[in-house]
Amino acid sequence: MAATSTRTGTVLRTSTKPSRSLEHHAPVHGVRWWRELGWRHVVAVVMVVVCVLPLLYVLSASFNPGGTLTGSNQLFRHVSAQNYQNLWGRYFGSWLLNSLLVCTVTAVGTVLMGAAAAYAFSRFRFRGRRGSLTFLLLVQMFPQMLAFVAIFLLLLSLSKVFPAIGVNSQLGLIAVYLGGALGVNTFLMYGFFNTVPRELDEAAKIDGATHAQIFWTIILRLVAPILAVVGLLSFVSSYGEFIIAKIVLQRPEKWTLAVGLYSWAADEKTAPWGLFAAGAVLAAIPVVLLFQFLQKYIVSGLTAGSVKG
Amino acid sequence: MSHQGTQVEIPDEAPPRTPSGRRTGVGDTSHARSWSRGFFVKLAVVAIADAVSVYGILTAVAVQSWGVAAFLLVALVAITWVYFSRRGLPAKYLLPGLLFLLVYQLFVMGYTAYVAFTNYGDGHNSTKSDAVAQILVQNEKRVEGSATYPLTVVDKAGTVGFAVVVDGKAEVGSASQPLTAVDGATVDGGKVTAVPGWQVLDFASIAGRQDEIVNLRVPFSSNPDDGSLRTQDAQNGYLYRSALTYDAAADTMTDTSTGTVYRPDSRGSFVSPDGTALTPGWRVAVGFSNFTQMFTDSRLSGPFTQILVWTFVFAGLSVLTTFALGLFLAITFNDPRVRGRRIYRSLLILPYAFPAFLSALVWRGMLNQRFGYVNEVLLGGANVPWLTDGTLAKVSVLMVNLWLGFPYMFLVCTGALQSIPTDIIESARMDGASPFRIFRSMTLPLLMISVAPLLISSFAFNFNNFSLIYMLTGGGPSFTGTPVLIGHTDILISMVYAVAFGSGLKQYGLASAVSILIFIVVGAISWWGFRRTRTLEEL
Amino acid sequence: MRRSIPLAAIAGVTLALAACSGSGSGSGSTASATASAKPTLSGTLTMWVDETRIDSMKPIVDEFQQQTGVKVDLVQKVSGDIRTDFVSQVPTGQGPDVIIGAHDWTGEFVNNGVVATVQLGDKAKDFSKSAVSAFAYNGQQYGVPYAIENIALVRNNKLLKDTTAKTFDDLVTQAKTANTPFSVLIQQGDKGDAYHLYPLQTSFGAPVFKQKDDGSYTNEIGMSGDAGTKFAAYLQKLGKEKVLDASIDGDKAKQAFLDGKAPYIVTGPWNTTAFTKAGMDISVLPVPSAGGQEAKPFVGVQGAFISAKSKNPLLAQEFVVNFLTTEKVQTELYKSGGRLPALTAAASKVDDKVLAGFNAAGSTGAPMPSIPEMGSVWSFWGTTEVQLINGQAADPAGAWTTMITNIQNAIATKK
Repeated sequence: MAATSTRTGTVLRTSTKPSRSLEHHAPVHGVRWWRELGWRHVVAVVMVVVCVLPLLYVLSASFNPGGTLTGSNQLFRHVSAQNYQNLWGRYFGSWLLNSLLVCTVTAVGTVLMGAAAAYAFSRFRFRGRRGSLTFLLLVQMFPQMLAFVAIFLLLLSLSKVFPAIGVNSQLGLIAVYLGGALGVNTFLMYGFFNTVPRELDEAAKIDGATHAQIFWTIILRLVAPILAVVGLLSFVSSYGEFIIAKIVLQRPEKWTLAVGLYSWAADEKTAPWGLFAAGAVLAAIPVVLLFQFLQKYIVSGLTAGSVKG
Repeated sequence: MSHQGTQVEIPDEAPPRTPSGRRTGVGDTSHARSWSRGFFVKLAVVAIADAVSVYGILTAVAVQSWGVAAFLLVALVAITWVYFSRRGLPAKYLLPGLLFLLVYQLFVMGYTAYVAFTNYGDGHNSTKSDAVAQILVQNEKRVEGSATYPLTVVDKAGTVGFAVVVDGKAEVGSASQPLTAVDGATVDGGKVTAVPGWQVLDFASIAGRQDEIVNLRVPFSSNPDDGSLRTQDAQNGYLYRSALTYDAAADTMTDTSTGTVYRPDSRGSFVSPDGTALTPGWRVAVGFSNFTQMFTDSRLSGPFTQILVWTFVFAGLSVLTTFALGLFLAITFNDPRVRGRRIYRSLLILPYAFPAFLSALVWRGMLNQRFGYVNEVLLGGANVPWLTDGTLAKVSVLMVNLWLGFPYMFLVCTGALQSIPTDIIESARMDGASPFRIFRSMTLPLLMISVAPLLISSFAFNFNNFSLIYMLTGGGPSFTGTPVLIGHTDILISMVYAVAFGSGLKQYGLASAVSILIFIVVGAISWWGFRRTRTLEEL
Repeated sequence: MRRSIPLAAIAGVTLALAACSGSGSGSGSTASATASAKPTLSGTLTMWVDETRIDSMKPIVDEFQQQTGVKVDLVQKVSGDIRTDFVSQVPTGQGPDVIIGAHDWTGEFVNNGVVATVQLGDKAKDFSKSAVSAFAYNGQQYGVPYAIENIALVRNNKLLKDTTAKTFDDLVTQAKTANTPFSVLIQQGDKGDAYHLYPLQTSFGAPVFKQKDDGSYTNEIGMSGDAGTKFAAYLQKLGKEKVLDASIDGDKAKQAFLDGKAPYIVTGPWNTTAFTKAGMDISVLPVPSAGGQEAKPFVGVQGAFISAKSKNPLLAQEFVVNFLTTEKVQTELYKSGGRLPALTAAASKVDDKVLAGFNAAGSTGAPMPSIPEMGSVWSFWGTTEVQLINGQAADPAGAWTTMITNIQNAIATKK
């Protein structure tokens, strides 16, 4: 395969925009446009409709004070911003801030710790390496059925020593989330790290760089896309997590958004669906914005691929 | 082909394999051996970590949290050694994550394993001393027809007593001294306000001695059958008689009216000779009985095969469909010529941005047989039993899981695609390879390097995807007439839930035992999967 | 130089150690100091309440604080978890002093030893008898009631003016004259809803468990035999006539009634608030009998429990037994919570027509059983009923009998 033969001759391209021959093609038209690009738009439109349709119920409910979630298929019969106004009297603002804080710290921590571990697995050969990798994979498969009882007990005993990471502390919740930092994401990064040619490290070593310098200044930059992906995945998963969060955070002013929203939907008999839907719509915005922001890193220029020529 | 491709790509031979991280060479200069800026950063960080650990150890010892203290001590040594030793280079990168993993994940596993060997659950919720206290309190019954005694809490040299008015006369008593009439007491409105020799406690002092007061029983007379005076609010006293007495030395409960003796049994309850158990019981170790119950309980073993097959189908197809769709979309929008792809991508992750339980509720509504959007609007009034027919419900579950799960795979694949050199793809295209062949022989094998472990994790996740099943169908449509309520879409973990919790009683012990068994099954399969895909070989 | 670095580090650690040991022991001693000083400050009660009740409870605890000086720390819990959390956290010493909840939690709480007994004394007679006995278990009182709720028949007065039907069948016939898509809405859903069907079931003389004379439940199934199978056959009939439909879940039923698509709905006060808010003119009536006997809905009672491990038992009793039981408080709770007060004196002053209707409909009802055996019943019950309604179970008598057997087995395996 081409990759094998070219691997040894690697040179790090420093241009921020790698040559992407496709970009320099002249615009295509007609049948060829349909064959190469047009169908992609068709796929996009179909998928967007599929994605958005169920969410229209949520949007419709969010504008309907006192309505039901799926009680009627006539969407948008009542349109009023009342639910959105009502959100602000009910901790919604603090939940949003709490969530942003907890999830950002968790995401950054997960990326750093996961990347460090992936670096170790990818670049060092040590005894127990394969064993540890297998172990990491298997640990995540443990059914977390009793996690809520166990985590509570754990935090309770930690509370006595470090109240700052004990029960009812957001730092404690972050720590719990970071317990999963060496999870599946490490493997994603590990696989990606492996595609970064080792010759880069070797060259840097010869130039006198330490392993830490190689990690921080060379590898991390080259794997930016996967770091962004992992950061986003970690952010979203802690953003939507409420089972552990509601055990750790015992008071509404400390809750994250997921717990808060869950609390509105928990009693289906009396659930304030309108309020809940409005909250969910607003809650989705940071995720979409974050993705918008990270997209350029995920699909941007300085990729591992470009150094492989 | 794909194996070949993946193997070739891994630069597994590149660094010289030297024994256990003891590596030498120019490039291995560690910060620990040079006075660089990085070193000072490290020193500061490690010093803080150590200081926190030391503080923690001391506090933990002070509050007698020996487990925490021991762990911190190990962590302290590990941190200091790892970051100031020349050895264990990989450990420098692994330690932070591992510490968190050890504390928060392994504890959960260990705790679950521990619970699996106990009878923890409803009715056996706490310690034996709690249970004894509760049994006694619950069996302390008010003497029928007895009066309410407005009561005053009094104190004599640290001994708490009650003063009440009995038959118009003030009487005082304490735990050791039955109520006796006192002279010279002041009575106001049926309540004693002053007793010679005793000090009447005000509300603040009462609040400070709540336990003492609530637990005080003042014998009404020297005859124990008359019962004893007790208060719950420090204002009104009532006469109670205990239906049960506890003999701490013999560790038995005795019914005061019938004389029946209840002895503790091996299952954590006081049991009479005829088998009647007192509630609550307490937590005890029950050995392997939770594990054996799985095999002896016909409710569990009966539908097991059927559920197991569906669990595999569900988990396998969920991974396959979400990955296929996610990858397809990732490739579709990886072409930089597609205008508006940033917008498309953002809209495609919307299902991921909304809380899953909300989406599941919406889908449940949309798939409603008579009024759901799918039947009523999309299919023009069709009557398709999406969630009420066994087979269709399975299809629906898979479809909804696809909707919920493809954005994840889409994101992962979009990221992983960036590791694939565009140049070789392009050169293959130049050589006239068809897009499908490029995908099959180059893109997919290269992509699998990073995502293969993810697919296996995703399989394991879906194997235990309790929340989706629970929220969308609740396992339904239910089988008719089965002795435990399970249905066509139940997977292993939701069946465990139905058996361990569904009957209204929470049996944490049983649930833990089953989840451990499930873990062993999934773990073994995944491990086998890794071997098969050669992922582990390439690690 | 290389060697000096680990040394420096060790020096740093020992320094840190020394510093920390100082502060460590210092904090230890302050901790014990506050522990011993605690009694004088101990005027704080922790109280758990879920999101459906917190708004009405807030002013009450403020008032309690003003009156007694005891601070109440009101903690909002999620309604789906408050009960489980209470059971699992009380043994750890982390639970609250007081928990606000429903009477049917009593059995579980007692069985797990997490609630304290309360003594209402003479106050007991000021309450509706069934409300007090709802919180009793094995002859012992564990909670204090403050509000009562039950389901009833709700009529849309715009569609139908009056109800003369004596039987449920007549009611359906009359409802059809309104020419709406639905006649009498009773919510079901895929898993069934035995709660909303219970008035019909009791009209066949098939209560879920047999009751003792004092109103408490035995663990003997009451819905087996002829009465039960007759009801099962009736359900099948209603299913065939499309009066009952598994597709109509809570959401659909509420929305359909809101949209004027049905003259009647069987529902509770949690929904009527939405109806009146939407400007509907409604009346609340008892559910007519289907099987000849009186249709009795389940009655739910809300109240307060005290934790068995409360560190402030006196303060908790003061709030629960002496404060919550006053007419003023019960009236306030009625005004903010929209449920009928459990205290007779407060209930008699309620002039709200809708609530009075619910009260009348529930006057014959019995509290929902709180015995642990009830947990084994719900799921089998609902599922069998929904299978009868959607025709999945063809033989009503057989399905019903199987259900009884399964419930009895489930209860037996628990022992």
